[in-house]
Amino acid sequence: MVEVLFELPMNLLGLGISAFIGRFAYSGYTTVASPNLLRLTFAFVSIATGFALIAGGLFAGGYSQAMTTAGLATQAIGYFFIAFSHSLKSFDFSPSRSFLFLPLAVTGFVIPGNSIEHLVRSISFILLVYVSIETMASYMQNRRTSTLMIGSGLGMLAVGELMSWYNFIYPGSFYVAALSIKVAGFGLMFVPFSKFGLASGLGRMNSQIGSGL
Amino acid sequence: MAAGYRTHVSIIADILYTAKQYSYEGYESGATVTHLIRKANVPHQRLSSIVPTLTQSGLLYEDSAKYRISEKGIEFLKAYSEFKGFAETFGLRV
Repeated sequence: MVEVLFELPMNLLGLGISAFIGRFAYSGYTTVASPNLLRLTFAFVSIATGFALIAGGLFAGGYSQAMTTAGLATQAIGYFFIAFSHSLKSFDFSPSRSFLFLPLAVTGFVIPGNSIEHLVRSISFILLVYVSIETMASYMQNRRTSTLMIGSGLGMLAVGELMSWYNFIYPGSFYVAALSIKVAGFGLMFVPFSKFGLASGLGRMNSQIGSGL
Repeated sequence: MAAGYRTHVSIIADILYTAKQYSYEGYESGATVTHLIRKANVPHQRLSSIVPTLTQSGLLYEDSAKYRISEKGIEFLKAYSEFKGFAETFGLRV
């Protein structure tokens, strides 16, 4: 019961933040018709859906584990969309970016095959590490504080995912810390975004602008 | 897409910025095709495919073979600037 009282509001907070960012990204896509904004929309809607499934799993009784796994898989899909956007941006195989493939190189040693949830958590961790590194690389280029915060937030998500994976193997070890770090990572990502969302009134929804582009 | 290339939306924004510059900054007659090619750095062939789309969408309007930005185009540029910042916080391009 204590776990539910802690985990439910944390998941709802993550759901709210992700849905907010996804809503803004969607308004951007409808306005300027950018494929990257569409991918960000899919990403954060997937992450928000994942949080919703995980929160719903707390009350699902016998289906709790299945819903939790489905929620984690949905979040992994969201992380994939973000990683895909970064891979399209940096797909030039320049030597300075070669190290970004390191997370993919360790895939063979990290991804287990004995459990779907292990598989999902490991893939999420790898994708988050990749996206975090890519975002930090972008920060090294543009030196924007907001990019640093997003990269740090994604890094915290990766750490939280790793700790929750460890907690999955050894239950009770890092349960509270993992979820707290994960939500704190989303909170850190929300901070630079909040000036856009609040300034434009939850995003601009003018479907006339940008249509037909 | 390699890091050095502009996205399609960025090219559209560059065209609109150029049209805006020639619409208001002492050039009230509008931007010619040559202005758009040189200032927006877009080849003629590509420009020929984009400008009609922008005109049909109401972002530009043509007046005696010159192009001026519309109010809708100005709104698009404001939105582009805002969402460009949003995408760049994620290390992406709009």
